[in-house]
Amino acid sequence: MDFDDRIPIYYQIKQYICQEIIVGHFKPEDKIPAVRQLALTLTVNVNTIQRALAELVNDGILESKRGRGNFVTADLKRLNEMKHSIVEEQLALVYDRLTDLQITPEEMVRDLTDYIDKRKGEKQND
Amino acid sequence: MTELLSIENLTYRRNLRTILTNLSLTLNDNQIVGLLGANGAGKTTLMRLIAGSAVNYRGSISINGKNTGSERKSMVSFSAQLEGVNENLKLIKIADYFNHVFPDFEMNDFEKLAANLSIDLDQHFISLSKGNRQKFVMAITLAKHAKLYLLDEPFNGIDSMSRKKIVASIIEWKPEDATILISDHHVTDIANLLDAVAIVKDHTVVTQKSADEIREENGQSIETFYESFYEEEGTKND
Repeated sequence: MDFDDRIPIYYQIKQYICQEIIVGHFKPEDKIPAVRQLALTLTVNVNTIQRALAELVNDGILESKRGRGNFVTADLKRLNEMKHSIVEEQLALVYDRLTDLQITPEEMVRDLTDYIDKRKGEKQND
Repeated sequence: MTELLSIENLTYRRNLRTILTNLSLTLNDNQIVGLLGANGAGKTTLMRLIAGSAVNYRGSISINGKNTGSERKSMVSFSAQLEGVNENLKLIKIADYFNHVFPDFEMNDFEKLAANLSIDLDQHFISLSKGNRQKFVMAITLAKHAKLYLLDEPFNGIDSMSRKKIVASIIEWKPEDATILISDHHVTDIANLLDAVAIVKDHTVVTQKSADEIREENGQSIETFYESFYEEEGTKND
């Protein structure tokens, strides 16, 4: 995995694990890989993985079971909230950028719809 | 976290030259710390002093509260301990020698490390490529159980496949409470691995900072942070 070296690595690992959950690579109640295994897979320090996992446990995304490891929560409502807030984070970036360019909300909706159509078209032509 | 290494006001001169001056550094246990600095900044000398293989310094160096060179030596595994080894020996013979001399050297671990790093132990040390030499040094160093590992430029002049294997063995083999100090003058190799960095310049440690603080508070990459200490005086060479 390629990290952005200007952003704390533990934060990028949190995002990575959330993404794996959203796309279904880690399903609710799945056990996630052991700390050292994750460290090796992502080529980072064990402490960094531990910090990321501790925060995800704290956020209610993972559950830590003593002696057994870390599991994705069974709380689907919490997972939906997590997905929603990640989508919102991305939309906020676009919204702020376009607002800086003095694009009105109506124009944004129209531009976004047009853009999605354009991407769909590109996909079909592949 | 508890304090593992404490260096206070360390000054070291050799042949009338000042190598380190008024240097202070504190490392906690269970950390991977980058010791960054230009070539000739004094990184290797600092490691020798910590390991107890350079003496006649002023100031104090203690590991787990122990001050004497021999006490420190017993708690450290230093990558330079292979210097002076008989280069005509086969690698397995060198490992046997370490197994005899150091009570904390674990032959089983060494064999696993060597296998992970794809080192053929029937080769002679003298015939090793630079990359294989660094891999062998790493296997010997990590097979010795220690509180503090001192890795002096483990990625110097090696290809990216060897580098990846060495990084993986560091992640896999670092004992839980141990601390690893890795010196490097090219930080991008290890930036993702580090809990913190200490920057050496002008014969001393000019700053010590956690990787997360550098990224979170300064919004900088470790590389940019490190380079900023050297850029300031690009024209002022002494």
